[in-house]
Amino acid sequence: MSNHDQLRELIEAYALGSLDSTDRALIEAHLASGCSECAKALEEARWLVSQLAHLAPTAEPSDMLKGRLLQTVRAEAAGGPAPQQEARGAAIPWWLWAGVAALLLFSVYSAWNEQHLRNAVANLQQQAEAQRIERQKLEEQLRVAKLQAHEAMIWMDPKSVKIMLPPKDPKMPQLEAMWHPELGLCVRGWKVPSPGDNRVLQLWLIPKAGGKPMPSVTFWPDASGTFSAMVENPPDALSATQALAVTEEPIGGSPQPTSTPMWVGGVS
Amino acid sequence: MFLAVFSTKGSDEVSPDATLMQQLLRRDVSAFEELYERHSRIVYSLVLRILRQGSTAEEVVQDVFLQLWRNSSRYDTSRPFVPWLLTLARNRALDHLRLKSERQRRREDQTEEFPQIATAAPEYEKALDEGRRAERVRALIGSLPAAQKKAIELAYFEGLSHSEIAAALNEPLGTVKSWIRNGLIRLKEGLQATS
Repeated sequence: MSNHDQLRELIEAYALGSLDSTDRALIEAHLASGCSECAKALEEARWLVSQLAHLAPTAEPSDMLKGRLLQTVRAEAAGGPAPQQEARGAAIPWWLWAGVAALLLFSVYSAWNEQHLRNAVANLQQQAEAQRIERQKLEEQLRVAKLQAHEAMIWMDPKSVKIMLPPKDPKMPQLEAMWHPELGLCVRGWKVPSPGDNRVLQLWLIPKAGGKPMPSVTFWPDASGTFSAMVENPPDALSATQALAVTEEPIGGSPQPTSTPMWVGGVS
Repeated sequence: MFLAVFSTKGSDEVSPDATLMQQLLRRDVSAFEELYERHSRIVYSLVLRILRQGSTAEEVVQDVFLQLWRNSSRYDTSRPFVPWLLTLARNRALDHLRLKSERQRRREDQTEEFPQIATAAPEYEKALDEGRRAERVRALIGSLPAAQKKAIELAYFEGLSHSEIAAALNEPLGTVKSWIRNGLIRLKEGLQATS
């Protein structure tokens, strides 16, 4: 089998983005060498991979999202550049030649100036967009850092109450939670099996006063089975909660449990 | 279900999506609204499946559509629109997922902000309309052995690499590579068989 044939076999996985770095470097070098057959195969493989989106369960975005988007888009459209005027051709009397020439010169200058300004505006818009994206990234990093610091405070503060959540199935690992009366609640686990297809894990607060369990955060373990979920504002107070429970629910979570709790831990 | 979302097109005609994207260049808000109506459901479904949290998924979908509005000139109207949009949305959602799970696993981030993703529809694309193709994709992938299906889902929806999938499923790396390649070839052949 030739080098080309071997690399051709990697095209689908490259389009999927699942190649490890060595294989990825090999295929990228091959594509960069100008192999048109592999380039065409890659474009078709991207199409094929995009079809996997149909495996996602159908869900409907909220009307609020559409409203927010249209509001932004309308505002930007209103402030956008005006459409270019079409050039006109008209007969000019001879005695106006001098005036026309002056006007023409002025128009040429204006057009050049306008184009110059347009380019400047476009550059500024690009810079603003790049800055917006960078700011968004930094804000997200800051948010993650704050979250981590917040979590660390909850786990270390002596006012926090530790809650162990033993599994119903003895083969499953135990989860642990830490609840601080003011800072919030954290739950974490290791080697937790991934929930079923299109399912997530959901935390519930069982009130002392009885009544329905109160829904809280949804989460899922990563590929190694690790997760850490935080609830900054639990739906009920520590003192009013009898126990914490975790169930498996459809993606997006449920208003009330639809399955038997897999983990339950009493709040002492 | 997807019939209302997608449309089919003839071989030589310009797709409605390409026309709408051209209208976006003229800052046409109604064209944007129509594009949103046509594709927000499949984009949101995909992003929600990746991020599994409604509010975060909506943030990402909002970002994707705003990028569409602001950078419509980057779209090559000769290329199929929906696969391009879905690839863009998937990249954005996986980006978000990586950032969120940075504390759990440091990962290489290679995704560009608004990439030029050259996608070409194969000949058999027109054999099925989008709705029937969606059903066929689900049936073909659903017929794979559970572990093979899981490997493909981990790669597509969680952005894991071959070696990460091998570790997650506790399977040899070579097995995972074959599963993914053979699974995608089976999907391709299954879609071709309908043409």
